[in-house]
Amino acid sequence: MAKVNNWQIGREMDYPFEESRPQKQAGAVFDTNKCIACQTCTMACKTTWTSGKGQEYMFWNNVETKPWGSYPLAYDIKVLDMLGPQSWQGNQYTGKTIFEATLSGERAMGFIPTDLEYAYPNRGEDEIDSLMTEDRYYLRMPHDAWFFYLARVCNHCTYPGCLGSCPRTAIYKRPEDGIVLVDQERCRGYRECVKNCPYKKVFYNHVTRISEKCVFCYPAVEKGIQPRCMRTCIGKIRSFGFISTPDKVDPDNPVDFLVHVRKVALPLMPQLGLEPNVYYIPPIHVGNKRFLRMMFGPGTEEAVKTYINAMEGNDPELLGVLMLSVSTDHIIRKFKVQDGNAIGFDAEGAELVRVPLKEPTIVRPFFDENAKAYRYNVT
Amino acid sequence: MDPDAGKRPRFSLSRRDFLAAIPPTLAGMAAGIYLPEDVLRFTHLKPIEPGTNPLRDYPNREWEKVYRDLYTPDSQFHYLCAPNDTHGCLLKANVKNGVVVYADPSFGYGKATDMYGNTASARWDPRICISGISYVRRFYSDRRVKAPMIRKGFKGWVDAGFPRDEETGLPERKYFEGRGKEEFEKLDWDEAFDVAARVVANIAETYSGEEGQARLEKQGYDPAMVESTEGAGTRTIKARGGMPLHGPIRIAGAYRFTNMMALLDAHVRGVDPEEAKGGRHLDSYSWHTDLPPGHPMVTGQQTCDFDLYTAENANLITLWGKNWIATKMPDGHWMTEAKLHGAKVVTIAPEYQSASSKADEVIIIRPGHDAAFSMGLAHVIIKENLYDEAFVKNFTDLPLLVRMDNLKMLRAREVIPGYQAAVLASAKLMTKDEKPPAPAEQAVQYIPAEIREEWNDFMVWDAKSGGSKAISREQVGTFFEETGIDATLEGEFEVTLVGGEKVKVRPNFDLVKQYILDSCDPETISKDTGAPVEAIENLARMIAENKTKTLFVEGMGPNHFFNNDIKDRTIFLVAALTNNIGHFGGTVGSYAGNYRLAYFAVAPWIKEDPFGIELDPAKPVKQHGYTWAESAHYYNYDDRPLRVGNKLFTGQTHMPSPTKTLFWANSNSLLGNIKWAHNVIVNTLPKIELLAVNEYFWSGSCEYADLVFAVDSWIERKSPDLFAAVTNPFLQSWPKSPLPRIYDTKDDVEVWAGIGLALEKVTGDKRFRDYWHFVHEGQVETYIDRIFKAGNNTRGYTFQDLDASCKEGTPLYLASRTSPKIMGWEQTNESKPWYTKSGRLEFYREEDEFIEYGENLPVVREPVDGTHHEPNVILARPHPAIQPKGPEEYGLARDDLSTEVRQVRNVIKSPEELIESQHPLIPKGFTHVLITPKYRHACHSTAGSSDLDVAFWGPFGDFYRHDKRKPWVGEGYIDLNPEDARDLGIADGDYVWCDGDPSDRPFVGHEDKPEDYKVHRWLVRARYHPSIMRGIGRAWFHFYMATYGSVEGHETRPDGLAKNPRTNYQAGYRYGSHQSITRAWLRPTLMTDSLVRKDTSGQVIGRGFEADVHCPVGAPKESFVKIERAEPGGEDGTGQWDPAAKGFRPTYDNMSVKLYLAGEFIEGTE
Repeated sequence: MAKVNNWQIGREMDYPFEESRPQKQAGAVFDTNKCIACQTCTMACKTTWTSGKGQEYMFWNNVETKPWGSYPLAYDIKVLDMLGPQSWQGNQYTGKTIFEATLSGERAMGFIPTDLEYAYPNRGEDEIDSLMTEDRYYLRMPHDAWFFYLARVCNHCTYPGCLGSCPRTAIYKRPEDGIVLVDQERCRGYRECVKNCPYKKVFYNHVTRISEKCVFCYPAVEKGIQPRCMRTCIGKIRSFGFISTPDKVDPDNPVDFLVHVRKVALPLMPQLGLEPNVYYIPPIHVGNKRFLRMMFGPGTEEAVKTYINAMEGNDPELLGVLMLSVSTDHIIRKFKVQDGNAIGFDAEGAELVRVPLKEPTIVRPFFDENAKAYRYNVT
Repeated sequence: MDPDAGKRPRFSLSRRDFLAAIPPTLAGMAAGIYLPEDVLRFTHLKPIEPGTNPLRDYPNREWEKVYRDLYTPDSQFHYLCAPNDTHGCLLKANVKNGVVVYADPSFGYGKATDMYGNTASARWDPRICISGISYVRRFYSDRRVKAPMIRKGFKGWVDAGFPRDEETGLPERKYFEGRGKEEFEKLDWDEAFDVAARVVANIAETYSGEEGQARLEKQGYDPAMVESTEGAGTRTIKARGGMPLHGPIRIAGAYRFTNMMALLDAHVRGVDPEEAKGGRHLDSYSWHTDLPPGHPMVTGQQTCDFDLYTAENANLITLWGKNWIATKMPDGHWMTEAKLHGAKVVTIAPEYQSASSKADEVIIIRPGHDAAFSMGLAHVIIKENLYDEAFVKNFTDLPLLVRMDNLKMLRAREVIPGYQAAVLASAKLMTKDEKPPAPAEQAVQYIPAEIREEWNDFMVWDAKSGGSKAISREQVGTFFEETGIDATLEGEFEVTLVGGEKVKVRPNFDLVKQYILDSCDPETISKDTGAPVEAIENLARMIAENKTKTLFVEGMGPNHFFNNDIKDRTIFLVAALTNNIGHFGGTVGSYAGNYRLAYFAVAPWIKEDPFGIELDPAKPVKQHGYTWAESAHYYNYDDRPLRVGNKLFTGQTHMPSPTKTLFWANSNSLLGNIKWAHNVIVNTLPKIELLAVNEYFWSGSCEYADLVFAVDSWIERKSPDLFAAVTNPFLQSWPKSPLPRIYDTKDDVEVWAGIGLALEKVTGDKRFRDYWHFVHEGQVETYIDRIFKAGNNTRGYTFQDLDASCKEGTPLYLASRTSPKIMGWEQTNESKPWYTKSGRLEFYREEDEFIEYGENLPVVREPVDGTHHEPNVILARPHPAIQPKGPEEYGLARDDLSTEVRQVRNVIKSPEELIESQHPLIPKGFTHVLITPKYRHACHSTAGSSDLDVAFWGPFGDFYRHDKRKPWVGEGYIDLNPEDARDLGIADGDYVWCDGDPSDRPFVGHEDKPEDYKVHRWLVRARYHPSIMRGIGRAWFHFYMATYGSVEGHETRPDGLAKNPRTNYQAGYRYGSHQSITRAWLRPTLMTDSLVRKDTSGQVIGRGFEADVHCPVGAPKESFVKIERAEPGGEDGTGQWDPAAKGFRPTYDNMSVKLYLAGEFIEGTE
């Protein structure tokens, strides 16, 4: 095991390979407060990549309702349970990661779900954490009974559990964009990757007998276009782009802005130690803050405050970057907020998209002289 | 996957060889146990250098092109995805090897413009949803209708020359008993058209004249219905275009088809054009129970609503049974972004629903109790003097005086001798034969002179002068202020009538206030609705604090209850009290279905005179409406009007005719999703002689059809058409698809035109052909440009421009007065009169019917079935203006609570009596109100129809069907509060029997028909749903019902799928459906001949029936049910459902789950 630096847990940790970061790291921020669990992303992915035999059960992208939803069954509960008590001291994680909590001879700690645990991909939808009893017929912020939606794709981790545990070295990280791929020629289906991805985003194809996973739609990303799940996100929760390390933050980069500058977006279960590159703006309505800390780490409460501050009208920049989300199918590399507009730019600084923070209201003349027509709302 | 894979040298080895070959450090790994037992096949690959760090570099990357090939399309084109929701999205098809592999959003909405230079922003993009994405699976599904199909028995009837019973005229039964149970045969198109033409001609002949009417009487139809045919057999020929806004050419073509039937009548009866009668066309919006029937009662306008994107102009967004983010998916972000702008969201619903997870406040109330809840709000607002007095006086009828002797509104002519109604600048009075100009040219309201004469003018009590004053219907808003009248809202006064008689009068406000203060205090309302007192008080104050900035968003939920008109009237009351109508940030909207065909002035299309057809594209069309509208709710009600006791409650203007043929386009809901479907199938269909369905996908309607016309799917349409929606500002076309048709299909409009051609052959009348001239000529655009020219939102556009833009994925703006469209914006901001008698928002209904039913004031009524209390009673303490006719006056017993009688029962109970009362089925073990709302992972009336949607359909989706009982890869289910379920002995995931009132559900007479009962009784899974309130069950309405064929499939197919082996119809249940527990209901207040309302289209005001405006809407969420455990939920048919057994379900939580829920895997404290 090498010692690598994982900034999300504020310390060095064990990993099977030496630290090596790509030139750019593809990543995204998902705003859970905007997710509507429509599963459009899920089906966009499904119809693009996994409509073949042996892929029926595969959802490289899925949306699950927390706390009762999980695909496969209880993947998160099980890994958290296996990991044992997890503790943070400030921003430093003092418990063990999955690479550190291993049994001897293993590269990481994990489990393989059973066939049946992959059934029922939308189990738990819209289910609150506790029972709806009469004393909960009126809930105010934050909610005493709650659920929230968690959209999930492969996190294209800086320290992937799948890559680190592949006995064939058939999984790699692309140096140009950090996308993690399973080599479809080299993979032999040992399923170590399935076992050791705690997010369970590598899938074994029982027909081809090799494993497959989300490819972040690299054929699109290579052309500056967002992946399918991102560009079909009608909840407009997704800001896809490239994330920097904390020492190289570009405040004009929307992802950096959200993760590093405003610190409003947080990794999913950072204590597992993979340094995932998909970040979540935590749900502001969830009453159980401890649950959120378990899921998103110690920055949760500050992130919620930051988001609420923007809702109160105090942070037009944050508002602007969230309004730009999926307003174009191109990858926004930089953004600017000025004069009530948010503007997105490509890598060369050319304007990709410009949106008003508030859509203007239009009043048309009652009588149109040219068309000789009266205009009505009540037609 | 790799095209070159086969060319490489291969070797193979066994599992044991492999384990021996790998390095010892890896051999001990758990990996070994996962290797397949049989032979591995390896392609020869360069070994990877030891020491390679795959974080840094990787030698073998050529393979990546496999995914690039898979991803990259050969070509792309835009098409319109047009399901029965309120969106309609231009999508980009990605085509590979001639197959549409996946759909993308167009990213063109942000470029939409209008003729005034306005442009939308990219915040509109992307527009698409799960159903749009999965549509490709439906397009290529084995359920496609692949050619015109005829039912075998029906073909026998046609071939035998339409044999009929001599006495009654009914077709011989043997040809009709096989509906839903027998084979279909393919026809070629000409045969299909010929059959349709000959059948309608035969039916028209059979039921024409006195002889025809006598036959109908012998068949047992209500005499009022028989009379309404006026002796024309064509009046029994009916067609329905479902949601015609989605395709005015292809769908509203059904209406043109019925207008054409006048030619057939002229042929059959030999009458002149003036005497000829067309067919009948059925309602659409009101049929789906999407029409909020109280809107026209308050405003005169069909429905008030607003483009959803106005959300960010509001401070407070109240969702009344409107699960915005789940049912308005592409517009969900406008709500969450409104929150980012500081708006507060409140959900009012029986559960913590998806939208509740975005809400600031969550209020749980019993379904069907929204009217009670809003009256609780009104109580607080009035009692605490929080209302906006100026708005109330300027824009509502609340200051108008009501006579206490006859409960009518006081008229100026009654107190001012010789009073002449004011001359109106805001309206043109029409004489009897006068026709208004096209909607685009209507500068004012158009009112029939005789109606205006009757209305006269209304009176207020002027505090300044201490006497009554007349006000005209255009003295509203600023014009009322200018009169200087100080209208009194409270008190009782005496006026002297012209004849010298003195009568007491009170302002409407005073009557409303008395009712609300006496009967609707928050404590009472809390007991009735379940909502805590604190919630009622807080929300009332919040709304009052946000005048002009509160949105009232009504959903389908409360609308699906029998008291739906009262729900509207009371919500409008709260909105009016707080000046929240007609503002960009504060107004009322109802959201269910997509309906405003009036965006398009379709009269030149659907009502072109078939006796004077205009074949010159440049010339104006001569219009004559021979078609007659009626509500499909009567067909649903076993083809009966509402006749109970000694009274016919269906007004003359509403009267249906007997239904002998039904043509359906885009109308799966007319059978496939109809409430009380199982009764219609067993009891009503046998009376109908032709069911003809246009479909591209084999639906529940097709299962029982006689003729199925195979039409194009949306993705392959070639014929020009239009689309618009009530929730967004866009005008869209259906760009012509470059994709070749994959089956023997035609466009819907070609079906109508084809039947026209066949009728020419049958009758020798060339006008049947000419009526569809521009369809035959491939110039459908001509019809569209005629529509554009007539419409006030479209004149100035050409179809050519629209289509060119939509081909690129970008729509145009509708040229509405404002964007966002706000109904009532002109009324509130420009003081234009509403479309009511008084020109004001009306809360008092003085018509005889309303007084008789005790609903002249907006009052609270219990649901008609979906309540634990006594159904349909009026909640009131004694009140001088609430004086309904009791059951005795209709010749009914006061304690008769049978379902038919219940509808007309005007019984008042005090709050104490109401809370004490009980639903009559409670003693028989019935426990739950079961509601059937709309869900997100399926598409409205096209239902759960792709495997992808269905796999994500709630908790039971499973692609591999580990449980072979499962009807499909997913299935419908009932949500129950876990504590309720345990009380009933039901475990999470069990199958249950769910029964509605046995007197009429699933169908009348089921006791004597065990074979049918088996097919139609509902067997369904139960889910423990922690988010729902106790006593309430929920089942989403989108699953296809079990049919005779699907039951046969489930019982005989080796795979056990509930799939019809003959038709590929796939049910979402093994037996019955969520419709097994519902029935049809007809509400008296929705069948009046007296209500004043605007016509569907244009500025013309009329009264009585108007399809989709004032007519029955049903009550599809009304059911009170009994739920019994049927089978255990374990995958092998025994034991518990796996996730529950493992402890990962609510109330089954194992220790790990308990720690997880508490967040206790993390050490340390808060």
